[in-house]
Amino acid sequence: MSAKPIITETFTCVRCGLTVGASAPDGSRRNHCPSCLHSRHVVDRVEGGPSECGARMTPISIAVLRTGDWMVIHRCVRCGELTSNPVCGDDNRLILIRMAVRPLAQPPFPLETFGDL
Amino acid sequence: MPRRNPSRVRPQRRKREHHGEAGDAFRCVGCRLDVPMIAPGTAHRNHCPHCLTSLHVDHRIPGDRRAACRGRMTALSVTVRPDGEWLIIHHCQSCGGLSANRIAGDDNALALLRIAVRPLSDTRLPVSALLSL
Repeated sequence: MSAKPIITETFTCVRCGLTVGASAPDGSRRNHCPSCLHSRHVVDRVEGGPSECGARMTPISIAVLRTGDWMVIHRCVRCGELTSNPVCGDDNRLILIRMAVRPLAQPPFPLETFGDL
Repeated sequence: MPRRNPSRVRPQRRKREHHGEAGDAFRCVGCRLDVPMIAPGTAHRNHCPHCLTSLHVDHRIPGDRRAACRGRMTALSVTVRPDGEWLIIHHCQSCGGLSANRIAGDDNALALLRIAVRPLSDTRLPVSALLSL
């Protein structure tokens, strides 16, 4: 059995300053801070390859794929680009749930009528 | 339902050019519904009010019509602006691109709500995090 190469490098979160190991618990490479879920705009999604923006990306919503996996949608605060990244096992559950219930806390239509359906 | 904080409503940009001059309607690529271009609450109709499907026509800037993809974009999730307005995150089925679009006044409320509650209906929901709220 060939062991996966262990990633020992770290990065510092641009928002909360936490020093995070670049390797997630499942062995994949991290792309957002597990504490505040903020990321950095280093990959250009539209063109592919590295991005020269480098600004902070805030988590704006949770998407659930058909497979049941959760994805975090990030938006760059500087150029507005959107990316989606899979949720890690040790991501802050409180922030994840808070993002999931935020649309229901501010509904654009009355939710009472859905009780009749 | 009125907005919670109507003071911070940002005025919507005027539509400068009209794409697809001939028609005042388009046919949805998802459900084949004929959709009129006039939408309540928005000057930029960009998704079907019935099935919320969109078409990948814009590249980086909304309205630039520079995307060569033309793929079908399905509604992936719902997010809220700080002023309380809902946005639909669309996901292109052919190239994987994402875009955020404001909802219109006649969008299917049931379809919107189904997307919004999808994370909460997950059986692997971290209940402990909910209880500590």
